[in-house]
Amino acid sequence: MGAVNIWEKMLNLDRRWIFLGIGIISIVFFLVGFGMPVTTTKEVENIFDFVNELGPDDAIFIGFDFAPGTQAENMPMAVAVLRHAFHNNIPVFMTAIVPLGQGMAVSALNYVTDPAIDGHYERVLFEDWADYREAGITNREDIIAAWERDGNVLPEGALGWVFEGRDYALLGYLPLFHLVILGMTNSIETQFPVDYHGNPIGEMPMLKEHKSLRDVDLAVTNAASGACTYWITYAREKIGLPIAFGVTGVMATDYYPYIQSGQIIGQMGGLRGAAEYEVLLQENGITATTDKAFRGMDVQSAEHIFIILLIVIGNIAYFAGGFHKKTRLKGRG
Amino acid sequence: MYDTIGIWVGALFTLAIYSFLYKENPVYRLAEHLVVGISMGYIIVLIYNTVILPKLLEPIFGGNHWLLIIPGLLGLLYITRFIPSIAWLSRYPIAFVMGTGMGIGFPLTMKAYVLRQLEAAVIPLYSSGMPWHEVLGNIVMIFGTLAALIYFFFSKPHKGLFFGTGSKIGIWVIMLGFGATFGFTVMGRISLLIGRIQYLMGDWLHIIE
Repeated sequence: MGAVNIWEKMLNLDRRWIFLGIGIISIVFFLVGFGMPVTTTKEVENIFDFVNELGPDDAIFIGFDFAPGTQAENMPMAVAVLRHAFHNNIPVFMTAIVPLGQGMAVSALNYVTDPAIDGHYERVLFEDWADYREAGITNREDIIAAWERDGNVLPEGALGWVFEGRDYALLGYLPLFHLVILGMTNSIETQFPVDYHGNPIGEMPMLKEHKSLRDVDLAVTNAASGACTYWITYAREKIGLPIAFGVTGVMATDYYPYIQSGQIIGQMGGLRGAAEYEVLLQENGITATTDKAFRGMDVQSAEHIFIILLIVIGNIAYFAGGFHKKTRLKGRG
Repeated sequence: MYDTIGIWVGALFTLAIYSFLYKENPVYRLAEHLVVGISMGYIIVLIYNTVILPKLLEPIFGGNHWLLIIPGLLGLLYITRFIPSIAWLSRYPIAFVMGTGMGIGFPLTMKAYVLRQLEAAVIPLYSSGMPWHEVLGNIVMIFGTLAALIYFFFSKPHKGLFFGTGSKIGIWVIMLGFGATFGFTVMGRISLLIGRIQYLMGDWLHIIE
């Protein structure tokens, strides 16, 4: 009887003890930081390799299709791809399917161009290099040469310049985004006459070279909802635009069939997918260190071990206590 | 200065939300209501600034694009839902959106979600030079798909070798799918916690990088 009571107590454990355990493990593993290795998977490598083959003459879309609620998962993957694009001088269009995603795009850009972070990119706003555009200087190398000739020096710790309108355009959010994608297959400018800051898109050199999605080489949608499939339906199937997904862990299994069918080139699933991309960036010398997703993987691994242990203990208690022979557990109406 | 205030507000509201893990309390409810209210307020202002103002009001009053009054009025009909006597008028914009959505989306949606997936399931089990693990993967994929489909075939009793055994295998395949989804869900939820802990210990307390 006494033994059964122990099993009963185990099965009816107050869930707050589990929350406490998870909280303590999170804090301890962040403080200690074991740096457990993260191996990369084919799904993430495919995205990395695809982006790595692109250059200044190409262009990609990065979709910030998530709200702050899933920032922890989606932001690191978006930041990693943005860093990769800036490193390879690939022009980037930043969009948002959801209203709050626009703020996420701004945050990602601020983070990658934050002067306080070693390995940042120095941002030059659209109006700051207006004179060069008026003088007909739109080639990236020429812009940098003229910019530095005018006395601008790349700050210590910065990896390079990024010019708004040449290297990136923050297009922002529009409602009914599936129709926006459809419209962009003909013209990006008709859908976004001005960018997030109100700059006229038509005056941006990157828009002159990439007028529609047909002139774009890849769209990476970092999403927290099924809206990411808009890109497959309205861009992939209509004009054959290569698509890559960065999705939350909860969604990841739903989209594996699209990899198998070849509708997406790859997928970053949850924090793990983002950590893999960070590892690939570091291994290929694009960043000096990994970032937040990788640092979180120690905690992730420890938490998973803890949860597995709880499941094992719960099952032992269930069978050892003989509860599999009863219709319900004691103490649970 | 503003950044510091923002970080403190974020940290305190994170703690307020997590206080629910102990038990529901007024601080949690305050934080919850503020999240909903501020998000809605933000979205309304955002949509006004990104859609209504530049795509409707400015072109009409600044550019003399008077035809835009028609979609503008059609959009306003949505609001008639709040007036019971003329609520039926809201069906017109809904019908318009549904109709155009179906017309535009149906062919591409069929192609993306049905035809491509069917095409991807029609693959050879084996061809020369194919590595053994790929052969195994193809077998599992094809027979797993068929078994899962048999489980959802309700016009015949699930008895006998084909329907009985097939549907049992189908259940296993579906359960494996659920298991994988559950694993990813656990990972996802823990990831969200990790994000918050990084914020609290890094941005707020500066204990970690």
